[in-house]
Formats: sequence, structure tokens, C-alpha cells
Amino acid sequence: MTALSTLSDADLVRRCRTGDSEAWSELVERYSRYVYAICVRGFRLSDEDAEDVFQDVFTRAFLRLETLRDGSALKPWLAQLTRHRCLDAIASSSRVEPVEEVAADVGSGDMEEIEEAFAVREAVAGLSDACQDILDRFFAQDQSYRTISHELDIPAGTIASRIARCLGKLRSELEGRNEPAEGSGE
Amino acid sequence: MVARCSRDSWNESGGVAAQAEAIRDRAVVLAQDDGRVWEEALSALHDARGDESADARRDFRLEQTLQDAAAVPLEIAELGADAAALAALAGERGDGTYRADASAAAALAAGGARAAAHLVQVNLAVRPGDTRLVRARASEQAASEAADRLLTPIR
Repeated sequence: MTALSTLSDADLVRRCRTGDSEAWSELVERYSRYVYAICVRGFRLSDEDAEDVFQDVFTRAFLRLETLRDGSALKPWLAQLTRHRCLDAIASSSRVEPVEEVAADVGSGDMEEIEEAFAVREAVAGLSDACQDILDRFFAQDQSYRTISHELDIPAGTIASRIARCLGKLRSELEGRNEPAEGSGE
Repeated sequence: MVARCSRDSWNESGGVAAQAEAIRDRAVVLAQDDGRVWEEALSALHDARGDESADARRDFRLEQTLQDAAAVPLEIAELGADAAALAALAGERGDGTYRADASAAAALAAGGARAAAHLVQVNLAVRPGDTRLVRARASEQAASEAADRLLTPIR
């Protein structure tokens, strides 16, 4: 049986369309942080508003999945749904800031940052478990070389080089992912 | 900087530069934290000195404040060891033109680790044999050894 986490977006969408509930759970899991990040970091919605938009986006995605012509375009499709729902949420709130200004503001650096963060996250998932672990420990958990050395039982003097090599692989992974994405017409 | 300047000759340079940036960012946060916990400890000590009466709750709070004040320099000592190790790596494998800069960075990091370990030691909450002091001294030692790898040949 194919691990759902390894399916491409297109295959995942295909499975969702057959009514596969596990595939749907995987889709939500795969993009929940992305949608939430657009709400909170891109549009700076409150946690409460972000939660409402989050629910609404995935409800709409579920109901309208048949209208998505190209399953590989799932991510930009979800991003568009989320942006529209965020703007609706802002328009219906008491904020005095014009929606057009918010939309223009969000269109600049924040969305690029979110896209980049998710591209990195996806690329990290393509690395070996050992690389994922050591990068997570150093960059996300702020562990020292000494702590990493003790917990993974590897010589402290090799940690920095190991991390550097894993970052090199991450770079290759990112470059590999960017090339087909640019050619897909998204 | 040494790693960034070594891109043409060292394929790990980008990864080393990224780690150096992460360490620098952590150092900025820890320096601010250190100032904050130091002020809190000073204030707590001042309050305790002004009140000689037995007060278990106050003493507990004072102990906690001093514990916090020891935790931050311990992290700084470990970060200093990491910075020195990274500088040593850059000095040994990076472009030789910048070896002196890497040596200077390693020496500064070792100095920072040593100062931080001293702050852990003098903290009133840390008794001899305390595991935090052992860790701080181990970091000081590791940082010193890393710096010596670059500095010894030119002594």
C-alpha cells in the first residue's frame, strides 16, 4: 500500500475524489500549516478569525475539489481560496483598513516568505531521517553541538560538518524542486 | 565571513555560514536575556537583604531567580563553544587568506565561553560539583581547545 505522505498532490487529489477519507486527512495535514500561515502571517488575522477561515477553506476545498482541473495545482488553488476568505474576513470585520490596501500589502513580501518557508519544509521532508533530525535539532530546537553529540552519540567535532553537508543536500533538493515547478505553468 | 569568502574552494562553506548566522542570532537573544535575568537577580538579592525576617516563600523566589540567572550564562558558554568549533573548522578548511580572521573569531568565542562559565561559577545558586558548572567548564574547555587549534601554530 502506498504511503499517503509520499503521494504527489495530483495523486492525492485523485484519491480524495474517490471518497478516500484517509487521503483527505493527508491533504489537510499537508496544507493545514500553509493555510494557517497565510491567515496569520500573511493577513495577520486574529487566532479566532484564522480558525474560522481555516475551517471555511477546507470545507470549500472539500466541496469544490471536483472543480480543480489540475490536481498538481492544489497548493496555489488552496492559497487562492485562503486569500479570498481572508479578505472576506477582513471586510466583514470592524477593521477600518481598506481591503484593497491589505491585499496589496500582503501581495509583497509576506506571501513570498510563506511560500519559501513551505518550500523549505517540503524539501526538508525529502532528506534522510538523519539529516532531518540533525537540522531540526540545531536550527529548530537550538541544541548545541555538545547536546546533539550526546543525544545522537556522534563525535562533537563532526557535527558542524554533518550539518553543513545536510544543508548542501537541502539546497540540491530545493533546486530540484524549483525547476519543475517553474516549468509547470503555475 | 570566512565561510562566505571560501565559496569557491570549500563546498561546505554555505552550510557553515548558515550555522554561523544561526549562532549569531542566538547570541543576540541570549545577551538580552542575560541582562534581564541579571537585573532580576540583583533586585531579588537587594530585596532579601532589606528583610532579615524568615520568609520561606521569599527565599524560594530568590533561589529560583538565581537559578534562572545561572541558566543563561550556561547557554552562552555552550554557544561560545559552538562558535569556536565553527571558527576552527572555517580556519582549517576555508580559504587560507582568511585564517587569521577565523583565529580571531575562535579566540573571541573562547573568551566569551570562559567569561560565561565564570558567571555560572560565581552565581550563588551554583555549588561546587553542580552539573551546570561541570557543563559550563566543559564548554569553556572545548572552546579553548578549538581556538588553540588555530592559534597554536603561529605562537
